[in-house]
Amino acid sequence: MTAPAASSAIAAQLIALFAVLMLVLQLLLVGQRMLLTSIRLFALQSLFLAGIAAVIAFFHGAFHVFVVAVLTVAGKVLFLPWLLDRQVRRMRIGQEIEPLLNFPTSMVVCAALTLFGYILARPFTALERLGNNTLAVAMALVLTGIFLMFNRRKAITQVLAWLTVENGVMLAAVALTTYGMPLVVELGIFFDVIVAVMVLGILVYRIRDTFASMDTSKLRQLKG
Amino acid sequence: MTLAPLILIPVAAGLACLVLRSHRLMAAVGVAAFAATLALGIRLLPDVIARGVVTEYDEFLSADALSTWMVLLVSLVSLGASLSAGGYFRRELAAGTLTAGRVREYYVLTPIFAAGMFFVVLVNSLGLMWFAVEATALSSVLLVALYNRPTSLEAAWKYIILGSLGLALALLGTVFVYAAAVGPHASEQLPSFNWSRLLEMAPHLDHRLMQLAFVLALVGYGTKAGLAPMHTWLPDAHSEAPSPTSAMLSGISLKIALYALLRFHILATACLGPAFSCNLLLALGLFSMFLAPPFILVQRNLKRMLAYSSLEHVGLICAGIGLNTPLTIFGALLHMGYHAAAKPVLFIAAGNIHQAFHTHEFRLIGRGLVKTLPVTAGLLALAAAAAVGLPPFGLFYSELTVIAGGIEAHRPVLSLLVLAALVASFCGLLQQFTRILLGEPTRGRLPARDTRPFDGMPAMALLLVVLVVFSVWLPAPLLTLLHQAAAIVGGKP
Repeated sequence: MTAPAASSAIAAQLIALFAVLMLVLQLLLVGQRMLLTSIRLFALQSLFLAGIAAVIAFFHGAFHVFVVAVLTVAGKVLFLPWLLDRQVRRMRIGQEIEPLLNFPTSMVVCAALTLFGYILARPFTALERLGNNTLAVAMALVLTGIFLMFNRRKAITQVLAWLTVENGVMLAAVALTTYGMPLVVELGIFFDVIVAVMVLGILVYRIRDTFASMDTSKLRQLKG
Repeated sequence: MTLAPLILIPVAAGLACLVLRSHRLMAAVGVAAFAATLALGIRLLPDVIARGVVTEYDEFLSADALSTWMVLLVSLVSLGASLSAGGYFRRELAAGTLTAGRVREYYVLTPIFAAGMFFVVLVNSLGLMWFAVEATALSSVLLVALYNRPTSLEAAWKYIILGSLGLALALLGTVFVYAAAVGPHASEQLPSFNWSRLLEMAPHLDHRLMQLAFVLALVGYGTKAGLAPMHTWLPDAHSEAPSPTSAMLSGISLKIALYALLRFHILATACLGPAFSCNLLLALGLFSMFLAPPFILVQRNLKRMLAYSSLEHVGLICAGIGLNTPLTIFGALLHMGYHAAAKPVLFIAAGNIHQAFHTHEFRLIGRGLVKTLPVTAGLLALAAAAAVGLPPFGLFYSELTVIAGGIEAHRPVLSLLVLAALVASFCGLLQQFTRILLGEPTRGRLPARDTRPFDGMPAMALLLVVLVVFSVWLPAPLLTLLHQAAAIVGGKP
């Protein structure tokens, strides 16, 4: 490690702070009732992910991580939220989110999942090199994200939940390897996520057209 | 230079279909592209046998025996599907169920879907392999939704949401493998993420990370491969897609996801020893095999029943690999090939039946297909006989190989379980097929219009001829290739 000890301690603290803020935003997302606010919360969460990458790039002088940070800002903080926002407004989707489980129950489930994330990450704390418990936060993001996918009826909120799972996976990559994955792989993942949201957007549009609703619990015809 | 064109030719074909005007020309472009990739695959075969591994661009692309086998299967199934697509969509357009724009969508996305599959099997980096698997999911989901019916949108939504969730977990597994490769001392010099390089260092990788990575890959890629209990999207997507797409989804796409899982399995075996990943594969494989027969028996819809039969076959392939003897792995790989040739024929025939009766419901199709649609019914019967595993066809031989290999490895109980599941699905499929094929056609349920008897004939004939020829005669190079591939999966001696 080329950076002096003092600055790398600051880096570790910043990363831990950003990671915890990502988790806080995830929990706010679970409790959020308004669709447009949820999109902003996701954008903010992605901003902190980009922040972590930027901190690593700055303190360790790794250029390719800086590219990842810029891509995250461009894609997940600006473009995707803009795309989702526009779709919500154009299609005049109702603002209420209508979760399947009510708010207190969801919070209890998410607390349990966060705890489970910590337990899952415990054997690997020896391998972590960035701050404390970054991996545990990442696992918690993945688990609560999956819960969020099943706890939402509206198609767009499921897409949003999937994106938070993706954020968790990227955080895990940073937590375990410091520099993330090779740039070409990161580019591939970035491209896939963008295209995935666009494809999902097309489907949401068509579902809305056909069912006059975005409620995926109405997609119940195929059985057995 | 054979690897790069395998990926670029289908991409070029897909892009060409964006600008072409006539549907006939688009269909011809698709057929030509896959004929070319098949030829390239055959040309690749002796090179791979002689040298073991063929690489290009500084090992960015690499083909060993296992990937070459998959290249041949992707080419064959895609060629069959595109041969049938021209006539199928012409008739759909005439019937007014699809618009010209949607048909163009099919011709553009199908080669890109196939290119994604070629990329999965040829790329060396595990991270880019994930990228390619996700790309196949994204390019095929709009094909599933092609008809824009409420049911097909539902199927597409389930497919993409479950698929993406599964693939997010597979990505996490991929991250863990990479973390294991980076090791406890991160430096800015990133280690290579190439599979071949990972295999060399596998024995020294962190065991707990590799265990978690394999479990995540199993759940993730297993979802895409349609393994039970993550298979719930499979019957919906396979039954709602247009027939040529169903043929590709069932015939090859499932096996491509399985291939990705196999690459993790080989790494996990090299790191943890065979027991861990083999037992997991065996458990999920057997579970899929036992889950399928009851669903086959209660199905009222032809294409859904065919999808559940695919579940059975994927289960058998997994079980064969999980038993982990040279013979069972050889049988499982062989089974991939025979299933890839047989299942598309069934889906293309189902497409013909749908165009004649406007339904896939057994009740509405009624009895006596041999009288009402003699040619389609004849080919359907042949492919059905192959799919249930009746003797002159190869699937009988490959199933027998898996069971015999299991008994030889002193695991008679597991072999008997495999046999029991196969017999159960055999009975189920036979009962269902005889219901629609034989008997007297009910009056008033005759086809809504006269169909030309040779619809989809070239594609079905090609696949059936390949199936029959290779069932009785496996040429020496192909046999060597399969043995080499089995050695790769089973760990080098």
